[in-house]
Amino acid sequence: MFTRHVSRQIAAHLDGQLSQPKAQRAELHTLQCPQCRAEREQVRRGMAILEHLPTVEAPEAIWASIEAGFERNQPVPRPAVLRRRWAFAAIVLLALAGAAYWRLSHIPGARWEVVRLDGSPSVSAKPIREVGRIGAGEWIETDARSRAMVKVGEIGSVEVAPNTLLRVVTARPNEHRLSLARGEIRAKISAPPRLFFVDTASGTAVDLGCEYVLSTGEDGFGLLRVTKGWVSFQWKDLESLVPAGASCQMRPQAGPGIPYFDDAPENVKLALESFGFQKSANDRLSIILSESRVRDTLTLWHLLSRVEVGDRGRVFDRIAALTPVPAGVSREQALKLDPQTLIRWKEELAWTW
Amino acid sequence: MSRLGIASCAMAMLALADGFTFTLGSPVAAEDFRAKVATFVFRTEGCADPAKAQIRGTAEGIVKGTRRSVALKVAAMSKPGVYAVYQTWPAEGEWVVNLKGTCAEANAGAIVPIGPRGFIRESAKFFPRPATDTEIETSLKALTQGGNK
Repeated sequence: MFTRHVSRQIAAHLDGQLSQPKAQRAELHTLQCPQCRAEREQVRRGMAILEHLPTVEAPEAIWASIEAGFERNQPVPRPAVLRRRWAFAAIVLLALAGAAYWRLSHIPGARWEVVRLDGSPSVSAKPIREVGRIGAGEWIETDARSRAMVKVGEIGSVEVAPNTLLRVVTARPNEHRLSLARGEIRAKISAPPRLFFVDTASGTAVDLGCEYVLSTGEDGFGLLRVTKGWVSFQWKDLESLVPAGASCQMRPQAGPGIPYFDDAPENVKLALESFGFQKSANDRLSIILSESRVRDTLTLWHLLSRVEVGDRGRVFDRIAALTPVPAGVSREQALKLDPQTLIRWKEELAWTW
Repeated sequence: MSRLGIASCAMAMLALADGFTFTLGSPVAAEDFRAKVATFVFRTEGCADPAKAQIRGTAEGIVKGTRRSVALKVAAMSKPGVYAVYQTWPAEGEWVVNLKGTCAEANAGAIVPIGPRGFIRESAKFFPRPATDTEIETSLKALTQGGNK
């Protein structure tokens, strides 16, 4: 499971300059490697300090004394003058460090409240008593007996279940981003779409106005279960749209599977478990098609763009048999996976979901 | 001529509102984050100008044997002609939602039974006019007797 150390990629990763696959590999490795994790913390702190160091003009007195020194052409300053200059330099450095510390600890809105629910959850390895704070770059960790609630800015909350490791990646009003390394979270978000994101080893859950439970192992195997609204789960070019009452599995290097309603026929769910991640599974496709109900057009609509080209017609025909094809959706365009056609169809099918 | 013109206009308006009715859906159908906590959403069908449709309704219920009527909270969503219905009625008792709509000269009505797990799509009834008191009482009676579940 261990891969090569990612020391040389840490700065680029923190700066968001790595490609998604590289970033996910680095993330996965860092989770498993204490050495790289410690290095990342050091780099992150260093970057944070650099980012927030204020620009300070050198005091005029420095230049005056330098010029005076040149004019006097003194070869060697006296020890007393040297001591004064060193003391002055030390004061300037201390002032700079103090200003940097003050700026870091007073970034408005950058730290979210964390409430202990059970046991002793920790933020950045320090146990929190009743209420704590968490900011970008910090981890919250729960053991088998602890739970916590993170208040996500002004837009909602995330309950952190036992045995969970979660990091705040971004805490800005226009982007609230977490990274779930392992465990389970329950998110309740009341905000316009695409303000809240949760990264996992197998993709990103994008809030479209929703409540959901997301669980994942460190290996990237996981499950998304939506209880209200919509969630878009994305990995590379793949996207699964999961509405309330539906779930979606995810796997490393494969991203999200095909969503299904929790009350779907068991045979459909069983067939989807493997089909969602392997295209060449003709027998399983037959089961899914034959046993789907009207409501399962959620699954069939996703299948249309995931099956082999030659199977798209079968999927189209099954959806058409379950519910009338609306105006503006043609078989030809649907089989070509024309984006406008698929969106139009999904919007219409959603009235049966 | 003017009578003919008026008659033609009236016929045209009726034609535009031909088959005016409602389609029900779960809140996800609205594709609007404000619908997240709605009990259900619905859209108008057969209305040439959905933005001008008049929508109103009540929740009708029986709580511990007492008949009750509660004003409904209906909110227009971002898509024209799509509305969300939010729960304004108490959790206890048996309830149906009585929807009424007007588009030009056409009317539409619907009775939507509410079950313990949300609205009961299969038992909803649709009318080309507002539902009558008798129809509402019949739906409520069916719900209290478990006929709608």
